[in-house]
Amino acid sequence: MSIIVNYHQADNCVDIIVVGSFDFSLFNEFKDAYAGFIGQKISFSVDMSQVEYLDSAALGMLLSMKNSLGDECDIELKGANDFIKNILMISRFDKRFTIR
Amino acid sequence: MKLLCVDSEPIYREIVSMCANNHGLDVKTATTFQEAIDLFEEWEPDLVTLDILVKGGSGLSLIKELKLRTNGRFVPMIFLSSQSSDSTMEKCFNAGADDFLPKPFQEALFNTRIESHKRQVMLVQEMSQKNRELVYYKAMIEREHKMAHQVLDHVLIRCENTDHNVAVTRLSAASFNGDLALVNSRSDGARLIFVGDFTGHGLSASIGALPVAQAFFDAVDDHIEISKLASHINRMLISILPDYMFCAAYIVLIKPGGRLFFWGGGMPKAYIRRQDGTLDYLQSMHMPLGILGPSEFDSTLGEFNITAEDTLVIATDGVSELKNEAGEMLGAESLETLVSTCYANTNLTQAQEDLKSRLSEYQGHSEQIDDITFVAIRKRVSENKR
Repeated sequence: MSIIVNYHQADNCVDIIVVGSFDFSLFNEFKDAYAGFIGQKISFSVDMSQVEYLDSAALGMLLSMKNSLGDECDIELKGANDFIKNILMISRFDKRFTIR
Repeated sequence: MKLLCVDSEPIYREIVSMCANNHGLDVKTATTFQEAIDLFEEWEPDLVTLDILVKGGSGLSLIKELKLRTNGRFVPMIFLSSQSSDSTMEKCFNAGADDFLPKPFQEALFNTRIESHKRQVMLVQEMSQKNRELVYYKAMIEREHKMAHQVLDHVLIRCENTDHNVAVTRLSAASFNGDLALVNSRSDGARLIFVGDFTGHGLSASIGALPVAQAFFDAVDDHIEISKLASHINRMLISILPDYMFCAAYIVLIKPGGRLFFWGGGMPKAYIRRQDGTLDYLQSMHMPLGILGPSEFDSTLGEFNITAEDTLVIATDGVSELKNEAGEMLGAESLETLVSTCYANTNLTQAQEDLKSRLSEYQGHSEQIDDITFVAIRKRVSENKR
């Protein structure tokens, strides 16, 4: 499994953990990870601490997630290594996401 | 699934037929060598049982003949024979047998073996079906990548490629990913540059390239400001691309006097290599094109002054992410050193070739994953006089 989804009922948040290469091959799996929560008032976090590589397709998938969930929904991107954080910052993802 | 039973004894033909029928197999029987060959060719069974003794020939030569006629299909062939010495069995297996069951016929043994061979045939069939699909999709994707290349090559025809002060290098990866580099001069002597990197691969990545190129050439013809060009392309890409696609880009305008304006979104640092070898950096300050709506889009520009013999170098992220044989990325720092060193050459074309060969040297025999594009523009002394 390259994507693990944990729903924490107590905190009303969803943790999506991505493992390995975050690229186009995860397109459908990543969409499925949040599709069931669209329209609910839940906060999301995408845990990238186990992501080794991320390409522009993955950035697109994150943007698509933001669009589907709506502006009022907060998405936190956490645990990214320096290389990936740099990619996120070059594309100014801090404008759309909370990067930790 | 179909089973062909070759046996000269009626009793065995009957027993095998009965058992195989119970496993849901269609059965046809043959009593002679020729009959077996004819049925095999015409009926194309998935499984065969045969005896070593066959009327009109031997089972050993029959199995060889049948194996020749499988046309690449996987057809397990099982000997059923009362001659079950080690040496006989060895002959059977050498001739191509997949299994051997001794006579007298043991129903339980036969049933188990038939089930296992059935499973194997189904697995192989499923695998070849999947394989055919993969071959089909692979061919389709290769064709799409070719089309994408053709589309982009067509776009690039209008670009400057004869000017000694402009060098554009594109090294395409096996899997095409939509880098776009456009350079053209306006009638007032200003030079407009677009270097972009679309998300995605293949044909889908090149879809956005056509309208971007059109907007670029319109801007060249009509002297449109680059902040307006950036907003225009952004709006256009939002309307034509799905939300998971965008285009990281630099749009640069160099005025004849040496004033440089740029809009950058989602691109790695670009460089101005000063004549003395030091570097200044263009930083992209914005999100890539095709993400933010018109109200949020920021068209703020950056500015620089460039003087004679300064070189502007813009590379897509494929360059700093180029991997060597050990799997290590080139990295931004090494790229900076290369830019500073290579472009010391007063001949821009040679400088560009030098960078290209050094990159290829770094890469060695490792596979190039991303497209690589780098563009260099040099300001000549004479241009200052315009």
